[in-house]
This record gives sequence, C-alpha cells and structure tokens, in this order.
Amino acid sequence: MNRVSSSYRVQYDMRPAKQAERRMIMDALQRLATAGFAIEDYQYTGFGAIYFVDFILLHKLLGLKRLVSLEQEPSLETRVNFNKPFSCIEVKMVPASSEIPNLNREIHHIVWLDYDGVLQKEFLLDIHSALTVLSPGSILLVTVDVEPPEDYDYKNVDPSFDSAAEVLGPKHWRKYFEHHASSHLKVGLTNSDFGKSELITRTTEVLKSAFNRSIVARGEIEFAPIFNFSYRDSHSMLTMGGMLAGRTEKRKLKASTLSEAVYYRDSFDRPPFEIKIPRLTRKERVYLDREMPCPDGWVPRDFNLSSDDVLHYRDIYRFLPAFAEILL
Amino acid sequence: MRYAAADVRKQFFIDMFTRDISLEECVLDLIDNSIDSYLQKHSVSVSKLVFEPETANVGKGVGTVEVTCNEHQIKVVDTCGGISRHRAQDEVFCFGHSAGEELGKLGAYGVGMKRALFKIGNNFRIVSRTAEEGFEVSFKLDEWAEKSEWKVPITFIEGTGSERRAGTAITITELRPEVELRIKEGDVPKNIFEDASNTYPYFLGNCVRLRINDDDVDPKPINLGELNGVLRAANEKFEHDGVKVKLAATVAPGQRTSEDAGWYVLCNGRVVVRADKTNLTGWSRDFASFQPKYRSFIGVASFESDNPLNLPWTTTKRDLNRESTSFIKARALMATMTRPILTFLNSQYPAESTTEVADIRDTVGNVKAISFNDVAAKPSTGFLYTPPKRKEKKFEWVRFQAEVRLLDKVRQRLRRSSMGAAEIGRHVLDHFVKTECEE
Repeated sequence: MNRVSSSYRVQYDMRPAKQAERRMIMDALQRLATAGFAIEDYQYTGFGAIYFVDFILLHKLLGLKRLVSLEQEPSLETRVNFNKPFSCIEVKMVPASSEIPNLNREIHHIVWLDYDGVLQKEFLLDIHSALTVLSPGSILLVTVDVEPPEDYDYKNVDPSFDSAAEVLGPKHWRKYFEHHASSHLKVGLTNSDFGKSELITRTTEVLKSAFNRSIVARGEIEFAPIFNFSYRDSHSMLTMGGMLAGRTEKRKLKASTLSEAVYYRDSFDRPPFEIKIPRLTRKERVYLDREMPCPDGWVPRDFNLSSDDVLHYRDIYRFLPAFAEILL
Repeated sequence: MRYAAADVRKQFFIDMFTRDISLEECVLDLIDNSIDSYLQKHSVSVSKLVFEPETANVGKGVGTVEVTCNEHQIKVVDTCGGISRHRAQDEVFCFGHSAGEELGKLGAYGVGMKRALFKIGNNFRIVSRTAEEGFEVSFKLDEWAEKSEWKVPITFIEGTGSERRAGTAITITELRPEVELRIKEGDVPKNIFEDASNTYPYFLGNCVRLRINDDDVDPKPINLGELNGVLRAANEKFEHDGVKVKLAATVAPGQRTSEDAGWYVLCNGRVVVRADKTNLTGWSRDFASFQPKYRSFIGVASFESDNPLNLPWTTTKRDLNRESTSFIKARALMATMTRPILTFLNSQYPAESTTEVADIRDTVGNVKAISFNDVAAKPSTGFLYTPPKRKEKKFEWVRFQAEVRLLDKVRQRLRRSSMGAAEIGRHVLDHFVKTECEE
C-alpha cells in the first residue's frame, strides 16, 4: 500500500516551522560561505516537488545556479516542470538512489534528502550512497517524519496486518523499526522504547549510526554534524545533517562563525534544536522585534509573555516567516 | 631466564594446515604457481591482461600447463619457465615469504604448493628446469614428518637448454585415502576443469594453455554490457595502500540465468569470488536480496597490487578478507553502484505493462558487450538509463474477449455468417470512427 505523494498532501510553502528550518539552513550556509566555502558554486540536489521553496531561497539568497530537483511521481511531471521557478533548475524524474551515484565528483554538493515519510531502509541506503560518493566539503541533510508509522507504512512490514481488527502501538512500531533498520538499533531495546514519544530518539540513533557507518569507508573524511532540528507543523519531523570533512574542511568549519548560531549542533549526541513557532499576533511580533535582540530577563511591559518564551523568541525571530493573504 | 617449549609440531602443522581448503582449490594453487612462473619470466603485466588483453602478451608465446588427476596421482606439468636453484634452495619450500623475496602475482602467502602436497598425498616429486639449470626434490611426507628438521633433500640436475621447454613438473602419488575416494567419486576432474575455466578468464589463451586430463580448458569470460546512448555502466576507481581498485557494474549482455549473475572479485586478475549474491558483496545487507529478476546484473571488482599480501583474498583464494581496508572501501562503492541497476531491472516488472516498460525490456535484451577497459577508462560515474526517444507509433494491437452472442448479432445484422471475429472488430472500429469522430 502506497501513501500519496506529499505534493498532493502538504501545502509546502505554508509550513512555518519548516520555513524557519530552511532559513536557519540558509543562515548556516551563509556563515560557511563567509568561512571560505564557495557555496555559490555548490550544486543543490533536493526534492523540489511543485513548490521549490528551498530552491528559490538557495538561488535568490545564496546565488546557487546548479540546481537539480528529483521527482519520482510520474503523474506530477508536467506540474513540476510547469512550476519550476528558474531555468537553471533541472528536473529529473528519477529516485535519489539512481541520481546520487551520478553526481559530479569534481564539484561540491548540497544534497537534501527531504523525505516526507517515516524512516525506511531505502533512506538509509541513500545516506550510504551519498556519503560514499560526495566530495569532501559537500553537505548532506536528511529529513524524516518521526510520527509513529501508520497503517500503510506498517502493511509493507506485515502484509497480514488488519487495521480493522488491531490498532498499531509500540509493539508494531518496534517491528517496523527492526524491519527497516535492525542493524542500526541499540541492543536490549524493549517495546516501551518504541512508544510514540521515543520514536524521535530511536530515529536520531538510527540516522546517526547510518552517518557514522557509511563514512567509515572514506578513511580520513569524517561526517561533521552541523544540523539537528526537530519541529512540528502537522507532523513531528527531524532533520539531521552535516559536512563531509577532511582536515582542511574541519579547520575551516572550526574557524567559521557557526558555533555562534543557536541552532548549530556539532554533535548528534546533543538534543536537537527544537523549532517552536510562538503563538503570537502580528502586532505582538512587531512589538517584540523592536526590542530584539533583547538582554536576558527582558519581558514586554504591555502584554504578558514569560521570560522563557521571550528567550525562545530571541533565538529564532530572525528566521520566522510571516504569512499574509495576497489576492491574486 | 627459563623458557617453555613453543615449537611447531610437524604432524599438527600438516593436519591443521590442510583442513580448510578443498582438493580442487589445492590443485588450483598449483596451477597458480605455473601461471605465476610464466608472468614472472615474461614480465607480463596483470593490469594489461585484464584491461588490454589484446596487447598484453604479444609475441611472447604461450606456456602450457597439463594437469593429470586420477586415483593414482595428481600431476601438474608446465612449460612456464621453471624455478631457479637459488629460489628452490632458499624460498620455494619455506612456509611464507621472507622479507626480501621477489614476489609473484598470484602467490600471496607462500603456502600454496606445500599445502597442496600435504593435502593430496604422501609421495612427492618435483622436477624443475630453467634453460640453464635444474633441480629435483623427492620425499615422502610420513618420513619427513618424523624428522625434527624442516629441510627437504634437493638434487641439482641439468637445465633444458631451451627457454621453450623450461618448466616444472609436480607429481604426487600415494594419495591420501580420502583424496583417492573423492577422485573415485568422479566429480573432481570436472570440478577442477570448471573452476579453472571460471578462475582464469584473463589468463587462459592469453598467456597459458591449460589442459586437464587431456581436455583443453576454455576461459569463461565475464561479460559487461552497455547500449549506446541508452544504458551506461557504473564505474568507480581508487587506489589505497598500494592496491589499485577498479569497479564496474551493469547489465550483462545476453545473460539469462541467475547462475552467472552477481559480483565477480578479481585479485591480480584471478577470479577469487564468482557471481556472488551473498552479503559478502552487499546483497541482503547494503541492498536487496538476490531474486531471479536481477539475473542480468553483473559487477566486477578488480584489486591489483605488486604485493599480493595487500590484496583482500584469503589463503584459499576463494574468499575475501572482510577486514581488508581496500575491500571495505570498495564494498561501500559496490553498494552505491548496484542499487540503481536493481531499481532499473525491477522496473521491468510493474503491475501494469506500458510502453516505457517495453523500452526497458528491449534495452535489457539488446545490451551489447563492452570490455572492462572501455568501462573503466571513463571517469567514475553511476549507472545511467536514458529511455530511447520514442518514434510515434502508427499501429497498436487491440485484443479482447467478446461474447459469441454479440458477434453473432453483428454477423446477422450484416448478413455475413462467416465473418471472422477480427474482421468484426475492425468493422466496428471503422464504423465508430466514421460516424462519431472528426477525421
């Protein structure tokens, strides 16, 4: 049983947490550019779907000109091409597994495997392929859904599952993870380790293990963590990413201003940076922005907002999108 | 200072040493030595044999290796150049290579011949002659095992006086009872024949001619495929620790059986692992398990080094050392190369047949043979399938089952009782187009 392509399900450009994540990634890439990485010359390969939001940001803000969008859903081909915002975007109707080995080895890449589903074996194999062929200095990002696998996901693991007779729970989710990622799971896990709230931890462990194992064959090149975001628009999602770094790249990374960025994660052992979109009115945001960046302990005088909420706002106000209706 | 005894006991050594290798593999070890002699004598490059076989050995003549295998004896006689007295005295009968020893290409550990002798029988005679000089070594294993020293008696004899006839003859008689039994069972010569054919595709015919019990062994080539402008093989290459690694994976031309599908691993041109479909080369681990629908898949991994000890083969040369760093690196690439090819082969079998699927099947069927060299000469790249440009179709088959009752109605209406079903179909379509469609 297949799930419907996310282009049909999700209004990509209207997801505030996702957009904040994209803007933080842009911020990080800007910092890397300042540190001497020629980001403008990197090739971006992602899943643009019909919205191409990440492509627009990368082209307009960072000047990337080599842009490749992968699409697997044949019925979307004409729409994807119709919605392609720039001529420098090449749309390829192939899965990531087929495109990754064909990425030019002579240049640097940003590859964002922005999956919309829960963890699958195929995702881990794509990570393996990417870390096997990408040149040092290239950046790999992986996004997965960390909600519990749904009936249609689980049916691939156990076709005899009858959703009318049984409700999925930790026992099934464990089986799902064991099916897709058994060699990456820690030993000694029990059903309760696969409860809903634990799945983000399990997924983080699996992805971390996939990064670490896949890079082993590259000898001196390491996978240097940069990104570890968790966020929720309609679904809880996890994005992990970093750079394939040899000695030179590690030195440049260390010298960059990334360590000043609040979202920067140089180790996957630290908890992810949680992108929480504050529930604020436009008027409140304008008010707060006038005081940003505020000193510790500052709270607004004209309405109630806790110091913690203000600090959180201070962390992410630069990256928050503002949506408004436009009449076309 | 006191010392505890830590000697190697000969009988233990003989028994333990021969446990993990088959009789057939032992005979192949002896053939390896013959081929190695030839390569050394004629300074033939393994790289050229694998990648440029046409030019590798021009004008150097071909050595012969004759294997006799019956319940009385196993004999390997070659004209591959022979062994010098110096090497016989100081190296050939030692277990393992010494630090300064000149290494061959197929003898990695310096144990093959001795292990073969111990495994097969009790009575050995080795006669070897170069053009200039020769030696003979004969001994019985049971008598040798009783002595504490590790030497074997050697006699010097004349050389052949001719480069063409220079070579080595190894004769083993008084076969071990279990070896005799296995040979009497009948499969052993046939197994050696097939193993040799699969193991030496890059050597047979190019530098040696091999006969087993008077039958010529033909090489079984490893065929890679491409289709101009439509299907391109994946290839990767790197050098690590003095080992040159070249990898190619693609769809094989005309390969229709699962038996030949899988990864082939060569160490200095010798096929160590053939048509592997196990997790050794990534199947069921880094990518899907093998299924018959992947029967057209073929991959070749070539490891080459002047120091055979750096290659990832085990001492039996029939398996790979999973802890080899060059193999670990290669295996990561092999997985990345294999997955798109399996996705492509998988797409031949969708739920519903379409013209795209027909194109894919045509491509698989029409793939043309391409040499390893032609694949490896290109820059590293992944497998690529570019669907052929489709000519506009003029005709298409229409086939369906119709109720006889309805066909009869048409026949009645047209007053043509003998009208065939196909003609009725055509008539009905024409009628609809004429009355309902704009032309």
